[in-house]
Amino acid sequence: MSALRWGRGAAGLGWALWPVGRPGLRAEEGTLGGLRGCRRRSSASPCEQDRRRDWGHAELLEVLEARVRQLQTNSVSEVRAKLVDVARLPKADGSQSPRKVEAGNEGAALGFTSHWAQKLHKEKLVMQRRKQKLEETLQKENRKHQLRVEPQLLNRELADWLQRWEHGSPRSPWEEQLAQLLQEAPKQLSRSEEHGHTGRISKVRYEAQQQRLLSFLECCLLVDQLPLAHHVLVKHHSKLRQQRALTLPMYNTLLLGWARKGSFRELLYVFFMMKDAGLAPDLLSYAAALQCMGRLNQEASAIQRFLKQMAQDGLQLQELFTNLPLCKEDKAVLLRAVRKAEPTFLPPQPPLSSSKVNSSPLLKEIYSTDKPATYPKQHLPLETLKDLFQQQLSVEMATVVTVESVETAPSLTKEVLQARKTLQELRTRWEEELCLALQQTKDREAQAARKGRPSLFPYLCLLSEGELTQLMLQALQVLPQQGESLLSLAQELGMRIFNRHVVQRKQLSDEVQALQERYFKYLHLLASDTQVVMSRLPREHWEALGTSEASQDQPWPLALVVQLGKQLAEVLVQTVKMPSNLAQPQDTQKLIPVLYHVYSFQSFRQIGILKPHPAFVQLLETAAERTMTFEAAEVPMLCPPLPWTSPHSGAFLLSPTKLMRSLEGTIQHQRLLEGCPPAELHGALDALTQLGNCAWRVNGRVLDLVLTIFNAKGCPRLGVPSPASEAPRPSKQRLPANASPELKTELRRELARCLKVAREMHSLRTDALYRLSLAHHLRHHVFWLPHNMDFRGRTYPCPPHFNHLGSDLARALLEFAEGRPLGPHGLNWLKIHLVNLTGLKKRESLQARLAFADEIMNDILDSADQPMTGRRWWAEADEPWQALACCMEIARAVRAPSPAAYVSHFPVHQDGSCNGLQHYAALGRDSVGAASVNLMPSDVPQDVYSSVAAQVEVFRRQDAERGVQVAKVLEGFISRKVVKQTVMTVVYGVTRYGGRLQIEKRLRELSDFPQEFVWQASHYLVRQVFNSLQEMFSSTRAIQRWLTESARLIARSGLAVEWITPLGIPIIQPYHHDSKVSIGGGIQSLTFCSSGDTSQKPNTLKQKNGFPPNFIHSLDSSHMMLTALHCYRKGLTFVSVHDCFWTHAADVAIMNQVCREQFIRLHSQPILHDLSTFLVERYCSGPRSTNAQVVKLQEMLLSVPKTGTFDLDQVKHSTYFFS
Amino acid sequence: MWAPMAGLSPRLALPAFAGATRLCLWRSGAAAAAAARWKGVPARSRRSLSGFPPKLAPREGLRDLPPGVPRSRLESKRYVLSPSLAETVARLLLRDDGCDLILEINPGPGILTRALLQSGARVIALESDKAFIPHLESLGKELGGKLHVLHTDFFKLDPRSFGVIKPVVNSKLLFQELGIETLSWSNGIPLKVVGIFPTKNEKKMIWKVLHDIYSCTSIYRYGRVQLNLFFNELESQRMMANPQNPNLYYALSVLWQVAYDVKLLHVEPWSSFDISSQSVQQEKPQSKESSEQQVQQNLCLIQLTPHKDLFSQQLTSVNYDVFFHMTKQCFLKRHGKLIDHLTSLSPIDAMDILKEMDQDKNIKIIDMYPSDFKCLFETIECSKDHTFKWLYDDFMEDVII
Repeated sequence: MSALRWGRGAAGLGWALWPVGRPGLRAEEGTLGGLRGCRRRSSASPCEQDRRRDWGHAELLEVLEARVRQLQTNSVSEVRAKLVDVARLPKADGSQSPRKVEAGNEGAALGFTSHWAQKLHKEKLVMQRRKQKLEETLQKENRKHQLRVEPQLLNRELADWLQRWEHGSPRSPWEEQLAQLLQEAPKQLSRSEEHGHTGRISKVRYEAQQQRLLSFLECCLLVDQLPLAHHVLVKHHSKLRQQRALTLPMYNTLLLGWARKGSFRELLYVFFMMKDAGLAPDLLSYAAALQCMGRLNQEASAIQRFLKQMAQDGLQLQELFTNLPLCKEDKAVLLRAVRKAEPTFLPPQPPLSSSKVNSSPLLKEIYSTDKPATYPKQHLPLETLKDLFQQQLSVEMATVVTVESVETAPSLTKEVLQARKTLQELRTRWEEELCLALQQTKDREAQAARKGRPSLFPYLCLLSEGELTQLMLQALQVLPQQGESLLSLAQELGMRIFNRHVVQRKQLSDEVQALQERYFKYLHLLASDTQVVMSRLPREHWEALGTSEASQDQPWPLALVVQLGKQLAEVLVQTVKMPSNLAQPQDTQKLIPVLYHVYSFQSFRQIGILKPHPAFVQLLETAAERTMTFEAAEVPMLCPPLPWTSPHSGAFLLSPTKLMRSLEGTIQHQRLLEGCPPAELHGALDALTQLGNCAWRVNGRVLDLVLTIFNAKGCPRLGVPSPASEAPRPSKQRLPANASPELKTELRRELARCLKVAREMHSLRTDALYRLSLAHHLRHHVFWLPHNMDFRGRTYPCPPHFNHLGSDLARALLEFAEGRPLGPHGLNWLKIHLVNLTGLKKRESLQARLAFADEIMNDILDSADQPMTGRRWWAEADEPWQALACCMEIARAVRAPSPAAYVSHFPVHQDGSCNGLQHYAALGRDSVGAASVNLMPSDVPQDVYSSVAAQVEVFRRQDAERGVQVAKVLEGFISRKVVKQTVMTVVYGVTRYGGRLQIEKRLRELSDFPQEFVWQASHYLVRQVFNSLQEMFSSTRAIQRWLTESARLIARSGLAVEWITPLGIPIIQPYHHDSKVSIGGGIQSLTFCSSGDTSQKPNTLKQKNGFPPNFIHSLDSSHMMLTALHCYRKGLTFVSVHDCFWTHAADVAIMNQVCREQFIRLHSQPILHDLSTFLVERYCSGPRSTNAQVVKLQEMLLSVPKTGTFDLDQVKHSTYFFS
Repeated sequence: MWAPMAGLSPRLALPAFAGATRLCLWRSGAAAAAAARWKGVPARSRRSLSGFPPKLAPREGLRDLPPGVPRSRLESKRYVLSPSLAETVARLLLRDDGCDLILEINPGPGILTRALLQSGARVIALESDKAFIPHLESLGKELGGKLHVLHTDFFKLDPRSFGVIKPVVNSKLLFQELGIETLSWSNGIPLKVVGIFPTKNEKKMIWKVLHDIYSCTSIYRYGRVQLNLFFNELESQRMMANPQNPNLYYALSVLWQVAYDVKLLHVEPWSSFDISSQSVQQEKPQSKESSEQQVQQNLCLIQLTPHKDLFSQQLTSVNYDVFFHMTKQCFLKRHGKLIDHLTSLSPIDAMDILKEMDQDKNIKIIDMYPSDFKCLFETIECSKDHTFKWLYDDFMEDVII
């Protein structure tokens, strides 16, 4: 019995002395998945763990006391030696110690002494001293010697060689060894034929593992954990199975790391391992070795020999400087080494990327150098812009922006103050506890890495614990009341870590300094008071100012991001606790968790959700804190964005931004963009740069009015959301005790309905709060909205909360920072714009709209002067806030001494009328269709919806005459409104099913329509709408069918549909069958589906249904970009919301002209034939071309639909094309 | 677990099984397997399943098939095709409990309908297949008018999602038309439903029925409607499972048993419903897999009588969804301890709850009987001094029916 206890005690001691991880605990976690694991660990509060740590010691004393009792009954003679034995035990491996202890103790139990008390006291002292000593040495020892340096080679011969070199005396110089190694290196990879037998899924998993390991090694390098990386590599290398997964880049990563440190011994080890694995060193390996030589200042002869070897392997010296993604410092060292051997060597100059010119015929004018253009400048002087840059830089360095809330501050009652204080205290405590918990997590992960697993350890080291803690507390702060799915929370946390890490790295390197210098030079092009010699586009100028270094930050694989985020979320759940009753003093109470991990059941899936304790939500509400925190990249920029120069450099100064936004985890877009020649992207890059260069300011008067309403309970009709407290409440009446179940069910429904409404209101309110607070924050600033595009080329501003893409309210808050005099026609355009915003005179000519505006001038002025107290004419408009802003602008203009000289900041919009159908009609040269979407000149605007309704009515009458009952019932009910939504969405691929639902909705809204016929009638109508469209847009439908069919066949052949827009942007549809990635362990295993995984088969349905609308979107985005670029050349301010183009009132006429010209230019291209050629080339060439399926596809692709007779040039004179 | 069988009076059971076996076509290979699976069933009731020589299928069942019904349509659905099975069912159903109003779901060829009518029941036939309607109507006339035929899909009554796609029949209107009276929950049974549970969307349908009864809506508005439905074997075993057969014990088992008194009335091999085995010309060789599956599936007639005391002060039609959620979440980790689950269910201290329930702190989900779950729910609902009893939130549930 006592022997057993000894064993346990000593094991505990060993465990307590273990410096970092606790292997026993770790193993336990491994087996506990899900819920139980979580709760177990959450119960291990810090103090408890401290206790556990001391447990070993306590146990020891207990044992000693037990011995006292034992010795009292017997006479003990000699124990000392045995006890010394015991004391030494912890040195041994934890798992072995019990056995040894037992042996030792048995001996101890045999001998007895009469002076037991004295001896025991002595023993105790000795023990304590020894224990202290041991603790110290063990900690040191463990740190140093845990990591393996010497590789274990599988090739016996090689291993002997290594052995000889290791122990040979004197050691031969390492460079000789290296030369020898290189000479005998295998000349090719001998690994390619492996894992051919494994299935597709396991191959995907295998690749994911490889990717994981590689990024682990790379990350270790970043956080200066090279020995650890080496250790993991050695571990993997020493096992044949694992060794197979190792790739050359992994070895190279380590080579580079050791080279930078100048550690030749380890470098050589890696070379040994490479050779052992049968991998031939490539350019990067040579570069690393050379760099190491450079750092160690090797003799010239050694380097010369080395270079000779390199030449023998067929590698060019020049390539070292051109083909490798090395940083500046690496290159410098490399050059030094090479120069030593060849003093005359000159590194080749990188080619200027701007030297190649875009070849698209559509962009010829933009990039021709014949007629130098004068591009518009920013309206600010150089010094101001430099200042603004500094501001933006400091914002991005800080990574977060704190913004004051615009909600009325609560009166500072005792209650509020108390809540704030409590919250503050809690946060302070949480910060400490989280730091501690993170430290423990890190230790655990480090331990895992020591066992050879590519764990999360290096990633957790990227940011300091303090920063991670801040991230977690931020996430906690904004967690909605109903909770958030663990998956999305994890993903967000993971992404934030990545973004911050990128920013931090840029700060640490000297990039920021270089950026600033370059940006200041660049500003000479933009500033109002400076001139540059050559007129260039911003991107051209930026590129001329230096070469950009290749971005070294590859995004992490999604699985890693989620895993990292999940780890943090777990720490958060387990660590953050609050007293069970906040009102009482905190010290005495039991602590309860703040976050709960619960499951939600949706359809047949279970979704893990993190949910805050309602009391915590209440506390936050009561405290009503006045600040909110945004990531730097969520806020508009304070200086002109960096011009886009490549798929991943542009927009924000430091925060990484992608040129093409996509779902997290889809990489095909990025790959495609990187693969295409840089010059092909110039059109898109310049258009996006230009859209981002538009300076904005907040319309202060409108903001003030909105804020008044916002803080006075909102007004949903005007788009100002009310606070959730205004939500309908369930009726208060109490249920009678014997209420019928029916009544109860009704009550339940009502409760649910109220809850739902309240929740929707809350989210709308929060959205508005963000927007308004940001607007308020930026009120007296000039700011910029950097843009990027989606995978079809449609452009969007990057800052999500506050931009010009939102609702009426969001748009009304913004105006151009730069003003322009209205000029002779500007005022008229303002008036027409106002009438457009009211939605009142859609079917009337421009003259009539203008006349109407003059007619109601009184109302306009009244609205402008007394928006809230007057007749409130503006509030009845379709777009009330924009209308109000426009009224104010008109009032100011007409009251100016000379309206033509009035400087206006107001953006005037021109909308395409059913833009999708316009593109279809132009593609198919449909005369009837073209006329109905205003491609043809006409006195009054045509309305396609009315035309379709009229056509449907014709069909209906015919059917009614034939006695079809539904047709009779529908008499008098077919209107523009009933068909509008369906017609609009037909372009974007709405199906009959969806169309029927839309019409059903409309019919239900008609009060006098006999509701029992809704089902039948909607069925009938959707058919007639489709027939009418077929009648009016015959070629359009043919094109749609052709696109759909082609996409179907392409997808069936196992490939995703790709094409290139007329502007040269490569596009690929990211629709594949879902691939599932699971991340097990921890509180819950997460599975996420990604439809963008290219290793999966394409999803035929989505590919085929998506192609027509996506293709049309790629055309409308091309049209927009062309218009943008040409407007820019003409000196206009131009921004867009897809098919709605904005400019100053004075410039509307010019923009309209450009817009029409470019539409004609675009559609004069043989777009469909180009598409057909491209698709045939892409999908029907090569070895596959004889396949029957491919032949069928080719036939389909070649049968480009015939077009009609519409004359495109007529667009030029169509007033209502965009109006 | 198969104890409910014992409740069946021998007087009724014996002739019932005898009747069934007379006609049963038995595929020899399946017999042993099925017998093995039904080990727990008392020998008496197993007699229908084993030890009978294979017989040719009787043709009489199909005689009544209306001429207009394409065979292919039959194959996707199951109908009671053997008259003797029909007789058995009729006898089991029309016991002396004062309710002779029977609502038959998808009678199809009307073999069971005939038997029911002949036993003196009033029958409402809800047929979803138009083709059978004329035939059923003529059957009603032939047998003296106690049959009411309607073209409706019972399982699409009162859809729970409100995005209406097709015109549906509202049970309120339907029952009004049929003149069915509402009985209060504590009173007797207003109506008995008989039919075969659809295999298509089975899970969805199960959830719909459960939601209906717990929320007291649809047919349950009219009182404790009794269901007599043929389920497939696995599902019925699960329905009746409890900690004694943990492998089959699921969240649904708990929900079924808390709501209903679940009784197994009768087990019938698949072949009695199988069109292809009943007809002589068996043209289409079915894929091996599907025919094997069918062989293995017996259909079990389960009687589901709602408990009188289903609703209590704590469990009501207002908060039943919390109970659903609790049960589902518990069974996510069936072998986990209740105490670990409680922290994800309620902010109330788990130990307090267990103490209140008088349960051991190491109790596992799998060891808890359905009544324990109800007790757990009520305990948490009862706890007085907590403002927040549940972590559950409406948005966490998404009813898909």
